[in-house]
Amino acid sequence: MPRFVVQRAANCINCGKCERACVYGAHKREPTDPREMAEPNSNLCKNCFRCVVDCPQRALSIKVNEEYRALGKDLWTPQRITTIWNEAESGAIPVLGAGYRGDFAGPGFDAMWTDMSEIVRPTRDGIHGRESISTNVDIGRKPPLLSFDGKGKLLTTMGVMIDLPVPFLLDVSRLNVTSNILRGMAAAVRDLGTLLVLRADSINYLDGTIPAGMMVPVITNVRDMDRISGEVRLVEVEHSSAWRADVQGLRDRRPGSLVGVRVRSSTELEFELDDLAREVDVLHVLFDENGRDGDGTYVRDSLRAAHRHLVSSGLRDQITILSSGGLAAAEMVPKSIICGADAVTLETALLVALGCRACSTCNEDCPSDLEGSPGDYVQHRVTNLCSSWRDQILEMLGAMGIRDVRRLRGETGRAIFQEDAHRDAFQGIEGGERIE
Amino acid sequence: MSDDHLVCVPETTWVPSEKLKFINRYVVERKDTCISCGLCETLCPYGVHRRMEGHVKILPPYHRLCIGPSCASNDFYCVSHCPTSSLSVRNSETFSALGDVRWTTDMILATWQMAETGESLPLDHPGNVGSSGGGFDRLNFKRGPVPDTIDYSEFDMVIDLDRRGGERRRISIPVYGGGMSYGSVSLHTMVARAKACRAWGTYTCTGEGGYPKELIPYRENVVTQIATGLFGVREETIKRAPMVEFKYAQGAKPGLGGHLLGDKNTPLVAKMREAVPNTSLFSPFPFHSVYSVEDHKKHLDWIASINPKALLSVKVSTPNDVEMVAIGSYYAGAHIVHLDGGYGGTGAAPEIAKKNIAMPIEYAIPKVHRFLSDEGVRENVTLIASGGIRTALDVAKAIALGADGVVIGTAELVALGCVRCGNCESGRGCPRGIASTDPVLYLQLDTDWGAQRIINLLSAWRKQWCHLLASLGMSGISELRGRTDLLRYVGGKEVFS
Repeated sequence: MPRFVVQRAANCINCGKCERACVYGAHKREPTDPREMAEPNSNLCKNCFRCVVDCPQRALSIKVNEEYRALGKDLWTPQRITTIWNEAESGAIPVLGAGYRGDFAGPGFDAMWTDMSEIVRPTRDGIHGRESISTNVDIGRKPPLLSFDGKGKLLTTMGVMIDLPVPFLLDVSRLNVTSNILRGMAAAVRDLGTLLVLRADSINYLDGTIPAGMMVPVITNVRDMDRISGEVRLVEVEHSSAWRADVQGLRDRRPGSLVGVRVRSSTELEFELDDLAREVDVLHVLFDENGRDGDGTYVRDSLRAAHRHLVSSGLRDQITILSSGGLAAAEMVPKSIICGADAVTLETALLVALGCRACSTCNEDCPSDLEGSPGDYVQHRVTNLCSSWRDQILEMLGAMGIRDVRRLRGETGRAIFQEDAHRDAFQGIEGGERIE
Repeated sequence: MSDDHLVCVPETTWVPSEKLKFINRYVVERKDTCISCGLCETLCPYGVHRRMEGHVKILPPYHRLCIGPSCASNDFYCVSHCPTSSLSVRNSETFSALGDVRWTTDMILATWQMAETGESLPLDHPGNVGSSGGGFDRLNFKRGPVPDTIDYSEFDMVIDLDRRGGERRRISIPVYGGGMSYGSVSLHTMVARAKACRAWGTYTCTGEGGYPKELIPYRENVVTQIATGLFGVREETIKRAPMVEFKYAQGAKPGLGGHLLGDKNTPLVAKMREAVPNTSLFSPFPFHSVYSVEDHKKHLDWIASINPKALLSVKVSTPNDVEMVAIGSYYAGAHIVHLDGGYGGTGAAPEIAKKNIAMPIEYAIPKVHRFLSDEGVRENVTLIASGGIRTALDVAKAIALGADGVVIGTAELVALGCVRCGNCESGRGCPRGIASTDPVLYLQLDTDWGAQRIINLLSAWRKQWCHLLASLGMSGISELRGRTDLLRYVGGKEVFS
């Protein structure tokens, strides 16, 4: 979808100056009748205005595409959606000239900057692969301490630990997807070496695309587990008042699996956090697709509060926290990790990668026709998106001089939060104690 | 009063751009039903409708001069008088495709207008502030009215760059040009900037990409840069320069080094950089020989021993500990600490870096200014800010926040006709020839024309600073430094208790 629409008015005299002016080839002569100029190809237009100013008849105009402007909703801005489309198409890091062109700051993650390091730590080399920057994360329960016998032999029994090469999982459990898309996502998961979170009843549609160890079934009833064959490494259960019994039931049935609880973030969560952290291996915190919880708090603040709470109760290092929802751009992954998550799961971004416009009114006349997406298209688009996001995480880690994404967890000291920076800078200025 | 404080104030002349005059706020349309009666020509006092001497047909409407649909209230409104109802006036759709929240359409047009005429715009003109919703765009001056008559020669805009007690190094305006390398911009752009800076008695910078011989005539006004890739750095270029800038990081891509995409690395560019043509050139971040302030001092000493007369500037980005970096640079021997904030920049940068890495310059200036003052060294070092400084008022706000002066880049390019489409980094580069090394493209820009556009823009800015200082009851730009009490933040909801 073009961002700009070039229009040729009727007073065009077909002189062809626009064809010479446009370095992107948006203006061409009609192939069948070279006396006429063809309709401008807006998809190639990059809004440089050269044709507009070179046209002797002033017959050309450029305007912002209304369809572009209507893309997405709230957090999912047209800019973010088209960025994801480009990332999914090319797998490359978006690079542009001429500086930043967006808002000074915004809600949630937009009111946060990551730190950089001026001189020490040469990790730019890592971005080009000459030095390793690790994006691996561990999912699982870590013992608070290790015990050894007199000969130095480890006495502590280590539980299951899943090592993922990227700090994100793909999560389709809250999405409506066809079996084709599901299989495509599974193939992408296989390419990436990460995990696919899906509802237990969708597993049959996978047709064995991936082994059970790469699936994370989400179950509502522990008995569902009996129907799942193979060695599942992580299973998640929806949070309910009976979550303790569910967790125990899962542990009895699958002693070798990690058990996670999916819980919607809210202010009440804090009262249960310690109990959950003692019982479960993975705490999966859910936000809505705009990155807010039921009380309207943004991921940024909600995760920070939960992380801080668990740090003060001495439990944080033992469990893994996953965060879902409101991840609309690559920078939000490392920002979530700085705010306290170990890893995140991608949801809506996966559909956007396939061409979804995130208008969040998924009725029968979807303009993107996702249902017809063939499996290999899904696989490659999603793999591209994830590769691009991983590379962008490397850029941010490189700038910070951090070589391991695990070290980023809870490192709020390596971030700049707008309210702090604003107060530091503008204190003493009339009105400066307030922010937008 | 002596004219010492003027140093250089060049003449302005009218330099219109044939290329820009068709991007306008309004569109006037004349249908084929026009009978060329010429009534509109006699009606319009602005000259939108004109007929060439001896011709029958009326020329296409000159949109730029039209005041828009609000003209309907005037007796001479062409649309309502046209006997064949052939005329219409509406807002231009093209106009809405230009600009963004940081560089609004009004701001781009205002910059073009000032570059064309050299005349200033009123301080309350909408083109003076952006609509990004924070930082400079929410800071106002608490000022009185601007006096009706102003003698521009009464105001002192000079700043001193060497505050370590060496030879006086003064520039006539608190602005000099930022580093844009040969390769990222065209040679014509570089020469135009150098000519303008010589006329203004200030500096421009080569960036990291070598020192083209065409700049040698302007050597007194050309700063050279030593950046992490050391592209094009030679002993003679350092000896030639009145100021040497060490680029540790740049605001648009802090911590990521420089980046010239392969397409723009033509054989000529590669020769200047002593690199392989058509490969992407990265300046590897950071300086691999600098791991401490002591190493940094060694670097500065190295330049000082090659060119003892050179001023040493250290360009750094804005991390959390920017004040520590600044003081370290000062103790290592820097004359100038140059902070480059995240929202500016002209070169290719990953989109993720522009918004998300390191803080905006508005937050960094007061932090560093206060820290250097508390350490008791503020008067011995020049603090320069850059990265997102777009207008004369942004310059004044940066100074009020605590900087001595600023460095600009994008504003100069806009004066040269940049529309900020952002496609400078790839392919053949800028289709308008400003940031391109493709000869077919860069020949579009004439250096004398470009130089005069930049001279004009800076003249207009100087006049705007005079208006501002007059309305604040001041006579010198350096009086404004650190006067945060004159600023007001226009905000909304209460966040801090």
